[in-house]
Amino acid sequence: MFLYMSDPLVRVRYAACLFLLDPSLSLSWPPRIEIEIRPPRNLLQSPSLRPRSKTQTNTRLFSERERRKKLMAVSFPKCPSSPLPPLQTRNRAWSSPLCAPIQVGDSSKWALFETTKRCHLSVSATNGGSAVAPVEPSKKIQDSGTKTTPTDHSTKVENGVPQTVFSSNEFQDLKTGPNDSGRESTVSITVVGASGDLAKKKIFPALFALYYEGFLPKHFTIFGYARSKMTDAELREMVSRTLNCRIDQRENCDAKMEEFLKRCFYHSGQYDSEAHFVELDKKLKQHEGSRISNRLYYLSIPPNIFLDVVKCTSLAASSENGWTRVIVEKPFGRDAESSAALTRGLKQYLHEDQIFRIDHYLGKELVENLSVLRFSNLVFEPLWSRQYIRNVQIIFSEDFGTEGRGGYFDSYGIIRDIMQNHLLQIVALFAMETPTSLEAEDIRNEKVKVLRSMKTLEIDDVIIGQYKSHTRGGVVYPGYTDDKTVPNDSLTPTFAAAALFINNARWDGVPFLMKAGKALHTKRAEIRVQFRHVPGNLYKKCFGTDLDRATNELVIRVQPDEAIYLKINNKIPGLGMRLDRSNLNLHYAARYSKEIPCAYERLLLDAIEGERRLFIRSDELDAAWALFTPLLKELEEKRIAPELYPYGSRGPVGAHYLAAKYNVRWGDLGAEH
Amino acid sequence: MTILRFHQLPSSLSIAFSSRHERSFSGSSELVALTPRRNQCWRYSPLKSSNGSPLAGASWKDDGKEMPVPKGPDIGSQLTENTVSITVVGASGDLAKKKIFPALFALYYEDYLPQHFTVFGYARSKLTDDELRDTISKTLTCRVDKRENCSDKMEQFLQRCFYHSGQYGSEVDFCELDNKLKEKEEGKTANRLFYLSIPPNIFVDVVRGASRSASSLKGWTRFIVEKPFGRDSESSSELTRCLKMYLTEEQIFRIDHYLGKELVENLSVLRFANLVFEPLWSRNYIRNVQLIFSEDFGTEGRGGYFDHYGIIRDIMQNHLLQILALFAMETPVSLDAEDIRNEKVKVLRSMRVLKLDDVVVGQYKGHTKGGKSFPAYTDDPTVPKGSLTPTFAAAALFIDNARWDGVPFLMKAGKALHRRGAEIRVQFRHVPGNLYKRKFGTDLDKATNELVIRVQPNEAIYLKINNKVPGLSMRLDSSNLNLLYSERYPREIPDAYERLLLDAIEGERRLFIRSDELDAAWAIFSPLLRELEEKKVVPELYPYGSRGPVGAHYLAAKYNVRWGDLSDSS
Repeated sequence: MFLYMSDPLVRVRYAACLFLLDPSLSLSWPPRIEIEIRPPRNLLQSPSLRPRSKTQTNTRLFSERERRKKLMAVSFPKCPSSPLPPLQTRNRAWSSPLCAPIQVGDSSKWALFETTKRCHLSVSATNGGSAVAPVEPSKKIQDSGTKTTPTDHSTKVENGVPQTVFSSNEFQDLKTGPNDSGRESTVSITVVGASGDLAKKKIFPALFALYYEGFLPKHFTIFGYARSKMTDAELREMVSRTLNCRIDQRENCDAKMEEFLKRCFYHSGQYDSEAHFVELDKKLKQHEGSRISNRLYYLSIPPNIFLDVVKCTSLAASSENGWTRVIVEKPFGRDAESSAALTRGLKQYLHEDQIFRIDHYLGKELVENLSVLRFSNLVFEPLWSRQYIRNVQIIFSEDFGTEGRGGYFDSYGIIRDIMQNHLLQIVALFAMETPTSLEAEDIRNEKVKVLRSMKTLEIDDVIIGQYKSHTRGGVVYPGYTDDKTVPNDSLTPTFAAAALFINNARWDGVPFLMKAGKALHTKRAEIRVQFRHVPGNLYKKCFGTDLDRATNELVIRVQPDEAIYLKINNKIPGLGMRLDRSNLNLHYAARYSKEIPCAYERLLLDAIEGERRLFIRSDELDAAWALFTPLLKELEEKRIAPELYPYGSRGPVGAHYLAAKYNVRWGDLGAEH
Repeated sequence: MTILRFHQLPSSLSIAFSSRHERSFSGSSELVALTPRRNQCWRYSPLKSSNGSPLAGASWKDDGKEMPVPKGPDIGSQLTENTVSITVVGASGDLAKKKIFPALFALYYEDYLPQHFTVFGYARSKLTDDELRDTISKTLTCRVDKRENCSDKMEQFLQRCFYHSGQYGSEVDFCELDNKLKEKEEGKTANRLFYLSIPPNIFVDVVRGASRSASSLKGWTRFIVEKPFGRDSESSSELTRCLKMYLTEEQIFRIDHYLGKELVENLSVLRFANLVFEPLWSRNYIRNVQLIFSEDFGTEGRGGYFDHYGIIRDIMQNHLLQILALFAMETPVSLDAEDIRNEKVKVLRSMRVLKLDDVVVGQYKGHTKGGKSFPAYTDDPTVPKGSLTPTFAAAALFIDNARWDGVPFLMKAGKALHRRGAEIRVQFRHVPGNLYKRKFGTDLDKATNELVIRVQPNEAIYLKINNKVPGLSMRLDSSNLNLLYSERYPREIPDAYERLLLDAIEGERRLFIRSDELDAAWAIFSPLLRELEEKKVVPELYPYGSRGPVGAHYLAAKYNVRWGDLSDSS
């Protein structure tokens, strides 16, 4: 039988693969396992992947302790004759499959090897029936993999579990090893606007985290670009202040940090000067040497200079032999027209597949998990429609105001800042039909379909608010207009609630309520799915009159304290028949000891790998703006005054009226959450 | 006296009261949500005068056919005069000492018993009242969470306990008992409950004696009987027939103490009070259901009774089948006892008669582990040497109705296994067209959702879902959406017997087994049991403390099932 290990969609960086053979399956022992590796489709285009001739495999059984856990290493046998045909002689471009027969000695086993590129891997058990379970590589294996020298295999002890790492030289060809410097590829990441806040707080730390965990290519260069005059050392000094190591892996932190900083450089220049970018290009080339250079530009700059920078980079500092990608972050315009103009402008210099529009909410762990929950569990999908779902609430709240940084915010407002992008993206992921596959295009097609089925927002379905100053416990919290960077008569909403509807067969009539606000009483982001009442509820009398409190609710808490819980009605133990709402809980902190990576890490890595699933396509953006633009225009034309609410409160009362209009109660404001 | 007692009450007790109060109405379908405010209401309501508000519910329900209970306008005055006499027949037995008296005391401690009550022990051995009290007091315990006044309460309780010695078959002795009871009842409206904690062969004798000579004249008389209800269809219906010579169906309370378990009771709540489960509750989504019971000890010198019955009669045909019926029944019209039992009978009658091919039987053999040797079943001196009685059984059952056609219901029950527990496992189907298929490898069975209801120990409900492991890669794993009772509900969960005794006192029949239910249950198992005995089918031996015979795996595999309790991540 054949199994395809790597799904073309999934990034397989260290494609360690792990087979778990179930002893209960009737395989005759030892079965003959064949591993076949085929190059990825796009490999032909990349001259860097010239295979090397030397073939060597290493075998190492797992430690006794590991074996006791019924896991034993399967490995490539140390054959005198090479088990894999020499690649070079067969085909330079590595287009034909490699085969390696493996002897398996025990009932439960795994084999693992690594590569930095995607490849198709198939495994066949030729002697015996059913069998092999490939599992995504565990993080630990990946880590130890990166620390293993190419020609050597070693047993590493991590967290007390001995891990044996197999490295076979065939796969080193896929890595960007230093010994093959001629045709090796490198990636240069240029952070444009390096002195900004986002760059300091998020981008550099995320890059370091990727480096620390071994996700960056072997050779990489990081450039900061901004107008301020700075030396490399000054940049490093600035960057180093915000770097920190993951809590769970503190080893070698300082050393790693040192190495990382050595790869960071700074170039000062104007954003609209092609000459300055030519200089940058020269510097980049110097670091890239003769490697194939891939370049990633992260535009951490105000939107009005997006186009200037894009023009300069694409004209003056594009990679000549690799890819050039540009990451842009919101705001993507102020409305449908300006967004379309921006897209048009970007497309003068870039192809659609070079533009990576980031929405960092899509990189959040629980937002990614949303699709997994829906599509890999049987128990949720049958409930995922108007038949069972009464309403969906997407709630975002911050417990602080603009705090002296209202300048940018004031010209956009909460609707553009949070709702039209982050919350709407979550709605799209939540409500989309099952995509054909997990490929980026398939998923984005479905998202666009949902967005286009949505009813354009009307002003009646929106409530806006603005926080006013409030004194509590002797502390005075300022109002929004007290902020010096905000005009005194500003009508910009700092709070908004909206009811959206999706006019398709699945969601007709189900209100999707969004709420986003600053300076509220809590900081949180969550998705709440309130289910309908139980029809003909036998236990109706046990609930009293407030049947709304007795409905099931699924809560996906994106932040803080990631968790998933399902509220169910349960009998309180005891001799009476009293019911209450209990939670079926999954607290991430309790279940997963690992630290959850920051959204930017995931997105940066995806951009480097060209995985577009979590980035926003132009047509998605257009559809999103189409929903909100008429409303935004009306708000501005009619100069609608936002309802004031005290700093640190639960938001304006209007939000409750809006919800009540659609028979909804905000789940986050109930007595119990 | 009532008033006084209210003053003595610790405040925490009022909660117990109120839930009691609520329950008392459940029979008459007037359940209302509990709020602290209602708590207050109740304390000053006229019902206050009767510590035995449950009785009110009971007598309203019962009046219909059996007993000429006074009813109507004088209910209020009657309340104060009600009394209940509980006679434990077979008071010197193990069950009585370990379960029944402690349960009665717990009910008393929590003030669920009527204000005036009498507990009588009845057995052949000569004992004085004090001797009985002494025996009982050794097994009484107070709830962990409320230790106040414990010894006072115990003293008071013991003073209401009496003993009468007599032969089980003698009507004269029961007459004497009747006289004693009358004396204690002090002319109040007497309700009498007889708990038959005796071997089944003397059930009928006792029922005859008690019903003829010691029935209540003014109130109700009820009999609680416990398994075994016969050995097969014939003996069971014979027993029913004999009981009915002296009793009406309404007087017979057939106890199945598994139905009194907290999570078994909660099963209906889960299904019918939640929207998210009922849509999944059918062959469309459920791949198989497993009902698993295991004990980690053998007969340990008490194999006499067991050897005569075997695990199938002892556990499967009653406890597990009852759970299955509750699990699989259609939505009843209401929560009334008759409606629920009607639905249960329907399910049982839709079930295919069990065939020998779908059953695996086992018997434990001796095993030495860590220098300690555990005896085999046949090493038990109370068990005949060549006994073929199964101590383990696994069976695949099918319900041939629209909801469950083709879904295997697997049961497994065994003694001397590697662990102790009782649980219900619902394995859901594979996700059709699973987008994440490749993440799971070939063993898709591991990637299905599973709902586990752990009845004992450590009561819990959890739903296994597939989840993304946090991190930059796309790895999935199976995580649990959890509800651990010990975390959520710090209060001790009452013993099943408490609930059932209370229900019997109140006349709430939901958790008791009706004759037609019993008949339907036997009809499923009788042919198999006969065949096992006629063919002298030899049970597969398994070592004491093991996971049971391999045959159970083959049986499961035959229906494409893997036992959920034996996987790594159970």
